[in-house]
Amino acid sequence: MARGLLERLGDLGTAAQATIPGFYAWAVTVAPAAWSRGAPLLAKVIACMGLASLVAAIVLERRWPRYARPVSVWGLVSTSALVWALAPAALLPSRIDAARGVAGMIGWGLFALASAAPALPRDAEPARIVDGAPLRPRSKIPRGDAWFIGAGTLMAVGLQTVGWSVVVPERALLVRLVALASGLAVIGAATQIALGRHSRRVRPTRRVRARRSLPAFVGLCVVAAIGLVLFLAGR
Amino acid sequence: MQAFDVVAALLVVLAVVAFAVGNSALARAEDIHAVYWLVVGVVSMRAAVQLARPGAA
Repeated sequence: MARGLLERLGDLGTAAQATIPGFYAWAVTVAPAAWSRGAPLLAKVIACMGLASLVAAIVLERRWPRYARPVSVWGLVSTSALVWALAPAALLPSRIDAARGVAGMIGWGLFALASAAPALPRDAEPARIVDGAPLRPRSKIPRGDAWFIGAGTLMAVGLQTVGWSVVVPERALLVRLVALASGLAVIGAATQIALGRHSRRVRPTRRVRARRSLPAFVGLCVVAAIGLVLFLAGR
Repeated sequence: MQAFDVVAALLVVLAVVAFAVGNSALARAEDIHAVYWLVVGVVSMRAAVQLARPGAA
Protein backbone atom coordinates (compact mmCIF):
# COMPACT_ATOMS: atom_id res chain seq x y z
CA MET A 1 0.00 0.00 0.00
CA ALA A 2 1.35 3.38 -0.93
CA ARG A 3 2.12 5.31 2.22
CA GLY A 4 1.72 9.04 2.53
CA LEU A 5 4.71 11.35 2.51
CA LEU A 6 4.02 12.62 6.03
CA GLU A 7 3.66 9.05 7.29
CA ARG A 8 7.02 8.11 5.79
CA LEU A 9 8.56 11.32 7.15
CA GLY A 10 7.33 10.34 10.59
CA ASP A 11 9.43 7.19 10.43
CA LEU A 12 12.56 9.30 10.11
CA GLY A 13 14.09 10.69 13.24
CA THR A 14 14.28 14.37 14.14
CA ALA A 15 17.88 14.78 13.03
CA ALA A 16 17.32 12.96 9.75
CA GLN A 17 14.35 15.16 8.90
CA ALA A 18 16.40 18.28 9.59
CA THR A 19 19.33 17.11 7.47
CA ILE A 20 17.97 18.20 4.08
CA PRO A 21 16.94 21.76 5.06
CA GLY A 22 20.13 21.99 7.12
CA PHE A 23 22.22 21.01 4.10
CA TYR A 24 20.30 23.50 1.98
CA ALA A 25 20.87 26.35 4.48
CA TRP A 26 24.55 25.36 4.69
CA ALA A 27 24.92 25.32 0.89
CA VAL A 28 23.26 28.71 0.44
CA THR A 29 24.71 30.70 3.33
CA VAL A 30 27.77 28.95 4.80
CA ALA A 31 29.58 27.30 1.90
CA PRO A 32 29.71 30.50 -0.23
CA ALA A 33 31.23 32.34 2.75
CA ALA A 34 33.79 29.62 3.51
CA TRP A 35 34.88 29.33 -0.11
CA SER A 36 34.78 33.05 -0.85
CA ARG A 37 37.87 34.94 -1.92
CA GLY A 38 40.14 35.67 1.03
CA ALA A 39 38.48 33.22 3.44
CA PRO A 40 41.06 31.29 5.51
CA LEU A 41 41.52 27.53 5.30
CA LEU A 42 40.19 27.22 8.84
CA ALA A 43 36.80 28.53 7.65
CA LYS A 44 36.60 25.72 5.08
CA VAL A 45 37.54 23.10 7.67
CA ILE A 46 34.92 24.40 10.13
CA ALA A 47 32.30 24.53 7.37
CA CYS A 48 32.97 20.86 6.62
CA MET A 49 32.63 20.12 10.35
CA GLY A 50 29.16 21.70 10.26
CA LEU A 51 28.19 19.40 7.42
CA ALA A 52 29.68 16.46 9.29
CA SER A 53 27.59 17.30 12.36
CA LEU A 54 24.43 16.81 10.28
CA VAL A 55 25.60 13.36 9.20
CA ALA A 56 26.83 12.51 12.70
CA ALA A 57 23.39 13.35 14.10
CA ILE A 58 21.77 10.72 11.84
CA VAL A 59 24.26 8.11 13.01
CA LEU A 60 23.82 9.10 16.65
CA GLU A 61 20.05 8.98 16.37
CA ARG A 62 20.05 5.19 16.07
CA ARG A 63 22.05 4.51 19.25
CA TRP A 64 21.83 7.69 21.31
CA PRO A 65 18.72 9.55 20.15
CA ARG A 66 18.99 11.95 23.08
CA TYR A 67 22.16 13.51 21.67
CA ALA A 68 21.18 13.58 18.00
CA ARG A 69 19.25 16.86 17.94
CA PRO A 70 21.77 18.89 20.01
CA VAL A 71 24.58 17.67 17.74
CA SER A 72 22.58 18.56 14.62
CA VAL A 73 21.34 21.99 15.77
CA TRP A 74 24.30 23.22 17.79
CA GLY A 75 26.85 21.63 15.49
CA LEU A 76 25.54 23.39 12.40
CA VAL A 77 24.68 26.70 14.10
CA SER A 78 27.97 27.10 15.98
CA THR A 79 30.18 26.10 13.03
CA SER A 80 28.19 28.44 10.74
CA ALA A 81 28.67 31.32 13.19
CA LEU A 82 32.42 30.59 13.30
CA VAL A 83 32.64 30.51 9.50
CA TRP A 84 30.83 33.86 9.22
CA ALA A 85 33.12 35.33 11.89
CA LEU A 86 36.21 34.09 10.04
CA ALA A 87 35.01 35.39 6.66
CA PRO A 88 33.05 38.57 7.44
CA ALA A 89 33.68 40.06 4.00
CA ALA A 90 31.43 37.41 2.46
CA LEU A 91 28.48 38.80 4.42
CA LEU A 92 28.72 42.34 3.06
CA PRO A 93 25.38 43.35 1.51
CA SER A 94 27.17 44.17 -1.72
CA ARG A 95 28.17 40.49 -2.03
CA ILE A 96 24.78 39.00 -1.13
CA ASP A 97 22.00 39.35 -3.68
CA ALA A 98 18.35 39.44 -2.63
CA ALA A 99 17.45 36.02 -4.04
CA ARG A 100 20.23 34.27 -2.13
CA GLY A 101 19.36 36.19 1.04
CA VAL A 102 15.73 35.13 0.88
CA ALA A 103 16.72 31.54 -0.02
CA GLY A 104 19.03 31.48 2.99
CA MET A 105 16.30 32.76 5.32
CA ILE A 106 13.91 30.09 4.04
CA GLY A 107 16.58 27.41 4.46
CA TRP A 108 17.34 28.32 8.06
CA GLY A 109 13.62 28.67 8.80
CA LEU A 110 12.94 25.17 7.44
CA PHE A 111 15.90 23.78 9.40
CA ALA A 112 14.53 25.36 12.59
CA LEU A 113 11.04 24.00 11.85
CA ALA A 114 12.28 20.49 11.07
CA SER A 115 14.44 20.46 14.21
CA ALA A 116 11.85 21.92 16.58
CA ALA A 117 8.65 20.41 15.22
CA PRO A 118 9.42 17.24 13.24
CA ALA A 119 6.70 14.99 11.83
CA LEU A 120 5.51 12.62 14.54
CA PRO A 121 6.39 8.90 14.31
CA ARG A 122 3.66 6.35 13.65
CA ASP A 123 1.80 4.89 16.59
CA ALA A 124 3.47 1.62 17.56
CA GLU A 125 0.14 0.18 18.73
CA PRO A 126 -2.29 0.24 15.83
CA ALA A 127 -4.88 -1.56 17.97
CA ARG A 128 -5.33 1.62 19.97
CA ILE A 129 -6.67 3.45 16.96
CA VAL A 130 -10.46 3.60 17.22
CA ASP A 131 -13.06 4.59 14.68
CA GLY A 132 -14.24 8.14 15.14
CA ALA A 133 -12.66 10.83 17.22
CA PRO A 134 -13.03 10.15 20.95
CA LEU A 135 -12.89 13.85 21.67
CA ARG A 136 -14.95 16.44 19.88
CA PRO A 137 -13.23 19.69 18.97
CA ARG A 138 -14.64 22.66 20.86
CA SER A 139 -14.91 24.65 17.68
CA LYS A 140 -14.00 24.41 14.02
CA ILE A 141 -11.65 26.80 12.33
CA PRO A 142 -13.97 29.03 10.33
CA ARG A 143 -13.62 29.10 6.59
CA GLY A 144 -11.68 31.97 5.10
CA ASP A 145 -9.31 32.51 8.03
CA ALA A 146 -6.50 30.69 6.27
CA TRP A 147 -6.85 33.05 3.33
CA PHE A 148 -6.54 36.12 5.57
CA ILE A 149 -3.54 34.76 7.43
CA GLY A 150 -1.97 33.42 4.21
CA ALA A 151 -2.37 36.80 2.52
CA GLY A 152 -0.87 38.54 5.57
CA THR A 153 2.07 36.12 5.57
CA LEU A 154 2.63 36.63 1.83
CA MET A 155 2.65 40.40 2.28
CA ALA A 156 5.05 40.04 5.22
CA VAL A 157 7.38 37.89 3.11
CA GLY A 158 7.10 40.46 0.30
CA LEU A 159 8.29 43.14 2.71
CA GLN A 160 11.46 41.13 3.33
CA THR A 161 12.53 41.53 -0.30
CA VAL A 162 12.96 45.31 0.06
CA GLY A 163 16.34 46.93 0.79
CA TRP A 164 18.91 44.20 0.11
CA SER A 165 21.29 46.46 -1.79
CA VAL A 166 22.38 48.66 1.12
CA VAL A 167 26.17 48.82 1.38
CA VAL A 168 26.59 50.37 4.84
CA PRO A 169 26.28 47.50 7.37
CA GLU A 170 24.56 49.57 10.11
CA ARG A 171 21.89 50.85 7.75
CA ALA A 172 21.45 47.39 6.22
CA LEU A 173 20.84 46.02 9.72
CA LEU A 174 18.33 48.80 10.46
CA VAL A 175 16.48 48.10 7.20
CA ARG A 176 16.26 44.39 7.99
CA LEU A 177 15.05 45.17 11.52
CA VAL A 178 12.34 47.52 10.28
CA ALA A 179 11.29 45.04 7.58
CA LEU A 180 11.04 42.25 10.14
CA ALA A 181 8.99 44.40 12.56
CA SER A 182 6.71 45.50 9.70
CA GLY A 183 6.17 41.90 8.63
CA LEU A 184 5.28 40.78 12.14
CA ALA A 185 2.85 43.71 12.48
CA VAL A 186 1.17 42.77 9.19
CA ILE A 187 0.75 39.12 10.21
CA GLY A 188 -0.65 40.23 13.58
CA ALA A 189 -3.14 42.62 11.98
CA ALA A 190 -4.26 40.01 9.41
CA THR A 191 -4.84 37.50 12.20
CA GLN A 192 -6.85 40.00 14.25
CA ILE A 193 -9.02 40.88 11.26
CA ALA A 194 -9.61 37.19 10.51
CA LEU A 195 -10.56 36.41 14.11
CA GLY A 196 -12.63 39.57 14.50
CA ARG A 197 -14.99 38.53 11.70
CA HIS A 198 -16.65 35.77 13.66
CA SER A 199 -15.87 36.31 17.30
CA ARG A 200 -18.33 34.74 19.73
CA ARG A 201 -18.10 37.83 21.85
CA VAL A 202 -20.40 40.78 21.38
CA ARG A 203 -20.07 42.02 17.83
CA PRO A 204 -19.85 45.81 17.87
CA THR A 205 -22.30 47.86 15.88
CA ARG A 206 -21.14 49.91 12.93
CA ARG A 207 -21.44 53.06 15.00
CA VAL A 208 -19.22 51.66 17.75
CA ARG A 209 -16.65 50.47 15.21
CA ALA A 210 -16.62 53.86 13.49
CA ARG A 211 -16.28 55.71 16.80
CA ARG A 212 -13.53 53.40 18.00
CA SER A 213 -11.46 53.78 14.86
CA LEU A 214 -12.04 57.53 14.57
CA PRO A 215 -8.77 58.59 16.31
CA ALA A 216 -6.73 56.41 13.97
CA PHE A 217 -8.56 57.77 10.93
CA VAL A 218 -8.00 61.35 12.12
CA GLY A 219 -4.32 60.49 12.52
CA LEU A 220 -4.28 59.08 8.99
CA CYS A 221 -5.87 62.27 7.63
CA VAL A 222 -3.34 64.43 9.53
CA VAL A 223 -0.46 62.40 8.13
CA ALA A 224 -1.95 62.60 4.63
CA ALA A 225 -2.33 66.39 4.99
CA ILE A 226 1.28 66.72 6.16
CA GLY A 227 2.42 64.66 3.20
CA LEU A 228 0.40 66.81 0.79
CA VAL A 229 1.83 70.03 2.25
CA LEU A 230 5.40 68.69 2.08
CA PHE A 231 4.82 67.53 -1.49
CA LEU A 232 3.45 70.91 -2.58
CA ALA A 233 6.23 72.76 -0.74
CA GLY A 234 8.83 70.62 -2.49
CA ARG A 235 7.54 71.40 -6.01
CA MET B 1 -18.33 40.04 5.71
CA GLN B 2 -19.30 43.63 6.40
CA ALA B 3 -18.12 46.69 4.52
CA PHE B 4 -16.05 47.62 7.56
CA ASP B 5 -14.10 44.36 7.22
CA VAL B 6 -13.32 45.21 3.59
CA VAL B 7 -12.13 48.68 4.66
CA ALA B 8 -9.97 47.06 7.35
CA ALA B 9 -8.41 44.70 4.80
CA LEU B 10 -7.75 47.61 2.43
CA LEU B 11 -6.11 49.54 5.26
CA VAL B 12 -3.79 46.60 5.90
CA VAL B 13 -2.83 46.61 2.21
CA LEU B 14 -2.23 50.38 2.43
CA ALA B 15 -0.06 49.77 5.50
CA VAL B 16 1.98 47.12 3.67
CA VAL B 17 2.56 49.48 0.74
CA ALA B 18 3.54 52.27 3.13
CA PHE B 19 5.94 49.95 4.98
CA ALA B 20 7.52 48.87 1.70
CA VAL B 21 7.94 52.46 0.50
CA GLY B 22 9.27 53.49 3.91
CA ASN B 23 11.74 50.64 4.02
CA SER B 24 12.87 51.40 0.50
CA ALA B 25 13.41 55.06 1.45
CA LEU B 26 15.32 53.91 4.53
CA ALA B 27 17.57 51.81 2.31
CA ARG B 28 18.27 54.88 0.12
CA ALA B 29 19.13 56.91 3.27
CA GLU B 30 16.16 59.24 2.76
CA ASP B 31 15.30 59.29 6.44
CA ILE B 32 12.52 61.91 6.42
CA HIS B 33 10.62 60.05 3.72
CA ALA B 34 11.21 56.79 5.52
CA VAL B 35 9.85 58.06 8.84
CA TYR B 36 6.84 59.59 7.06
CA TRP B 37 5.86 56.38 5.27
CA LEU B 38 6.51 54.21 8.31
CA VAL B 39 4.20 56.48 10.34
CA VAL B 40 1.57 56.14 7.59
CA GLY B 41 1.95 52.37 7.83
CA VAL B 42 1.63 52.28 11.60
CA VAL B 43 -1.44 54.55 11.63
CA SER B 44 -3.13 52.56 8.85
CA MET B 45 -2.47 49.33 10.67
CA ARG B 46 -3.85 50.79 13.89
CA ALA B 47 -7.01 51.95 12.08
CA ALA B 48 -7.46 48.51 10.50
CA VAL B 49 -7.15 46.70 13.81
CA GLN B 50 -9.51 49.14 15.56
CA LEU B 51 -12.09 48.57 12.83
CA ALA B 52 -11.84 44.81 12.92
CA ARG B 53 -11.42 43.87 16.53
CA PRO B 54 -14.39 42.40 18.38
CA GLY B 55 -15.92 43.74 21.60
CA ALA B 56 -18.66 46.24 22.22
CA ALA B 57 -16.56 48.95 23.84
